[in-house]
Amino acid sequence: MKVVNLMAVVDEEKCKACRTCERVCPVQAIKVENRKAIVDAEQCRGCAACEQRCPYYAITMVKREEPVEVAINIDDVDYDKVISLCRCAKLNPEQIICYCTGTRAEEVAAAILKGARSPEDVSFMTGARTGCKVECIQPILRLLKAAGIDPAPPKGGWQWYGQTPTVWDIPEKVKQKYASRGFYFDEDIKLLERVIEAPLQGRREN
Amino acid sequence: MRAPIPPIPPRKSQYGIDPSLVRKRVCELPGMTSVLLKELFPDLPEVIYPGEEGVATIRKATEEALRNVDMSKIKPEHSVNILASHHGFTLLGGEPYAEMLKTIKDVIEARTGCKNIRLRAGVGLRFRETEEYIKRYGLDEYFGGKAIGVAPIDEGIPIETEIGTLYGIKKIYDADWIVHAHNSDVREVHFHRQVDRAVKPFGMSYARIETRSTYHQNLGPRAANFTARAIFDSPFVQSKFAFACFLMVAPNGIMGVDADNDLYALNDRVTYLGCRYYGKMMTLFGEIDECIVALDFPCPVVYVFSAGVIYANFAGANTDLYDLDNPLPGYTWYTEAFYGKRGKPLLDDIPPLNPAIKMCVHNYAWTGYPSAFFSEHIPTVVVGREQAELFNRDPQNLNYMKYAVVAETTEAAMEFAYKVTGTRKVLIFDGAIGGINLSEPLAEFLLKRAPAVSERVENELLPKWLRQRGVDLSLLKRAAS
Repeated sequence: MKVVNLMAVVDEEKCKACRTCERVCPVQAIKVENRKAIVDAEQCRGCAACEQRCPYYAITMVKREEPVEVAINIDDVDYDKVISLCRCAKLNPEQIICYCTGTRAEEVAAAILKGARSPEDVSFMTGARTGCKVECIQPILRLLKAAGIDPAPPKGGWQWYGQTPTVWDIPEKVKQKYASRGFYFDEDIKLLERVIEAPLQGRREN
Repeated sequence: MRAPIPPIPPRKSQYGIDPSLVRKRVCELPGMTSVLLKELFPDLPEVIYPGEEGVATIRKATEEALRNVDMSKIKPEHSVNILASHHGFTLLGGEPYAEMLKTIKDVIEARTGCKNIRLRAGVGLRFRETEEYIKRYGLDEYFGGKAIGVAPIDEGIPIETEIGTLYGIKKIYDADWIVHAHNSDVREVHFHRQVDRAVKPFGMSYARIETRSTYHQNLGPRAANFTARAIFDSPFVQSKFAFACFLMVAPNGIMGVDADNDLYALNDRVTYLGCRYYGKMMTLFGEIDECIVALDFPCPVVYVFSAGVIYANFAGANTDLYDLDNPLPGYTWYTEAFYGKRGKPLLDDIPPLNPAIKMCVHNYAWTGYPSAFFSEHIPTVVVGREQAELFNRDPQNLNYMKYAVVAETTEAAMEFAYKVTGTRKVLIFDGAIGGINLSEPLAEFLLKRAPAVSERVENELLPKWLRQRGVDLSLLKRAAS
């Protein structure tokens, strides 16, 4: 759950229509039209990516008069399907996947079950990836893949490029080559698998 | 007892409150003292900075270190990117790192005739942080307008590695040659576990979000840093790598500058120094039975320094961060991820945040790193409504103040902490150089415990830590002689 209390505002005098904002927005809430960046206030999740990367300092984050609460109600979906999706993505449903918003894997799975088809949809529906914008792209892509979805990155955008390997994908020869240098691949697989199977703490299990 | 050491002053930044709002430093309060690190561990190395010659000594040491580096691949018509990271600018005020960067440029130019030398400075989660440093230290002017900050959401490029495709920041690699200009300070031991520390920026500050997410979500706590090695070893990066130049840092200051065409040789030296010197400080901090922590440094909550150790490491000092047999420290993102909906770890054997920390007084620390995990699990008092409001406006910290309380003044915050916790032991993370600012009872405690810690690290822990990382001490000694 995320309370969106900020919104991007463009200074038209400073905007040079370079499209950097458009390329970095995780929910595609800002677009250049008629040579000026325009923010869709409903869509904006207040992450400040555009403000932080605008080369002309044309964007400021202002406080919303009415904060928007972004959350997925997991009661709306079949929780067995949530569990199955998370485990297929090698995640525990209660595992936090976005450290900034505290979004858990189950929320992303529920968003997918409710129709999210891309990381942009997931971010819009859950708020995940609208804090630091950095650390949670891979578990989101893993969950989408587990649901059989193969999203394409936004055309011309820099939001994300693709899924990357997990520890389960490390080739055996690589593991052996670096075994003496402090990389504990197999041990970490065992740890992660224990986490995946760990009992749930939330009310669903009761 | 000794007077407190002047702390690192507040710094103007978009990520922190205005320095004028930091009205009192915790070390100025009654009952605070300092301990020199050399009093705790007399075998800590001699340092060249701080010293009488100031940053001139860094220039000299950099020139000296670069003398043995082969730069013959760099031709006058080539372009060179000197790669820097935000972290270096947080060390001892930042001037030494800035001076090393300037010197590297000058030496390359003098030795090779190459004029097209750029500075590319990567960041963590504060995307304009190195822009601020570039201005502050006059690097833009020094590099003839060719100094820029780069961020992990900037345009990327795929890099083919032996584990698959990872992604780097395009502007990091847009030159004929790259020079890796970093430092040996250990900082995030909870993440890298002193495994390939010298290589880490290739998987972090030089990398795109896909790679950084691989590190923090896909590989596991002790395999994570392999992302950096995979990228560095890729044919693409190897085709551009010229050499590395590092500020060599100990908890008590800068020992010197080291440079090498072989990053892994330098990495082994960094591993040894990190384990030995920082390992002692962290092991000593792990002995603390109870204390109030005071954050008072121009950096995000996790990165405030005391004796070269960051708060995030003290928060996990109840376990041995260097021992790779321990899968998870009390704090790392994997640990945080593994807390379930009832606020408890999903596995019984996941250690808690350091139970010795009875309360955290957040006198001055920045936003720009997700820190709500700390205020959720450690009672936290934030000084000043302006600072609380700043956190409420940070997309990474919208939950931080949900759990913390606000005190109007530093004095009121500390009085509250004393009353509630019942302890008079206070550890201040304010970047005091060469020592630690702390309360008198804690100073006595640490001075008493340090000799035994030193002996245990030397005889028992250090050999184990080095063995786990494949570092052969005899080979290092032979190479040095």
